[in-house]
Amino acid sequence: MHIAEGFLPPLHAAVWTAAAAPFVVHGVVMLTRQVKNDPESKLLLGASGAFCFALSALKIPSVTGSCSHPTGTGLGAILFKPPIMTVLATITLVFQALLLAHGGFTTLGANAFSMAIAGPWAGYMVYRLSRGAGLLPAVFLGAFVADLVTYCVTSLQLALAFPDPEGGFAGALAKFGGIFAVTQIPLAISEGLLTVLVVRLLRTSAAAELIRLGVTDKKKVAA
Amino acid sequence: MLAIDAAAYRSPWRRHHPAAKGLLAGGLLACALALPPWPGAPVTFAVALAVALGWARVPPRTLARAARAPLGFVLTGSLAFLVTVGPGGIGWAPDGGHRAAEVVARCAAALLCQLLFASTTPLADALPRLTRIGVPAAVVEVAALIYRLLFLVLDAARQIRAAQAGRLGTLTFRATWRSLGGLGSAIFIRSFDRARRLEVGLAGRGYTGDLTVAVREIPLATRFLALAPIPALLALAATLTLDGLR
Repeated sequence: MHIAEGFLPPLHAAVWTAAAAPFVVHGVVMLTRQVKNDPESKLLLGASGAFCFALSALKIPSVTGSCSHPTGTGLGAILFKPPIMTVLATITLVFQALLLAHGGFTTLGANAFSMAIAGPWAGYMVYRLSRGAGLLPAVFLGAFVADLVTYCVTSLQLALAFPDPEGGFAGALAKFGGIFAVTQIPLAISEGLLTVLVVRLLRTSAAAELIRLGVTDKKKVAA
Repeated sequence: MLAIDAAAYRSPWRRHHPAAKGLLAGGLLACALALPPWPGAPVTFAVALAVALGWARVPPRTLARAARAPLGFVLTGSLAFLVTVGPGGIGWAPDGGHRAAEVVARCAAALLCQLLFASTTPLADALPRLTRIGVPAAVVEVAALIYRLLFLVLDAARQIRAAQAGRLGTLTFRATWRSLGGLGSAIFIRSFDRARRLEVGLAGRGYTGDLTVAVREIPLATRFLALAPIPALLALAATLTLDGLR
């Protein structure tokens, strides 16, 4: 769920852009370094970005009976690591704003903070911490947390921008959290399950790519 | 091809420089966000709509279809303004309707400005020029690659989806999930396969790391650039006049 163009007051849009900027700049530095050291990786990064865009366009059935789109941030962070994912997801957000009118230019910073920074980093940390439990459980937890954190941060951004007249920030957080984050729990479970299915199939049909990306190693694939 | 991008390629404004269109749409966007919502947002909306339909000749159906999903989010989000959550529990917010209407009006005006730029400027025209405003060349090249590959990947995803549906892959909940997993992994494999084939093709042509492409020269200093700030100035003047009459 992207915050639409014009939804945030200008000051909040500017503050979230400033908050997202260091992470995006760090990601750009990492990406530029990688492209300089290995020019061929530019093509791989292009393919990865196209994959992220296509993944976010898939419709997944929710446990509640509705349909939604996966954020793809968890899978992206697991496959490409969070700094690179930050840049790819920010580019994807720009493309979504220009090609689909999802999100906007003034809300790009806020959307990047939730979808390209908070979600991927939280998901990747949980994935790394739970890696001992096995690849697929870790992938599920990583994708679940990335999706949920993305929406919780969006709720937080909206609550800060529009505090409740009586309950203040806490009341607004309860309202926006109720609308977005709680309805998102079944969708986060759905995205976790979808990501597990994708990685399970990739382990058998694209093991070489997973080894190249450092998601798994030869011993584990052979086992 | 996606509807907004297709409209941008067909737009009579395609021959104008993206920076001039950015100035026009950006000026209106600034009006939508900075002016008081009443009467600023309806005035900006009316000016942006007149420019989009009358001057830029954006197809109304494309505009309406593109605006549907984001406006749905705006309306859902603004429902939260109608209620208040406080120490006394949940109740109707006395000023909620007014607050929600302000946000919806501001978003509708801002969204129209965004669509005005998006449906008149193909990404392929805007991307190569980003280096001139300080975006690193490596990022611009990766973005250009993503843009070129994403239509192939989306097309492949559509074909796989149709093939899965033809094989009753969406008949049951369980089959839908299996098909989705297969689709996700297939588009990953196809994306990487496409990148590998590009790598081999470019290596055969002496690839050194630079993806040099021809960018059509568009003159910036034109009559259009001089006219670009006028809609925003018009919106500003009309808003201030109407605000003064209240």
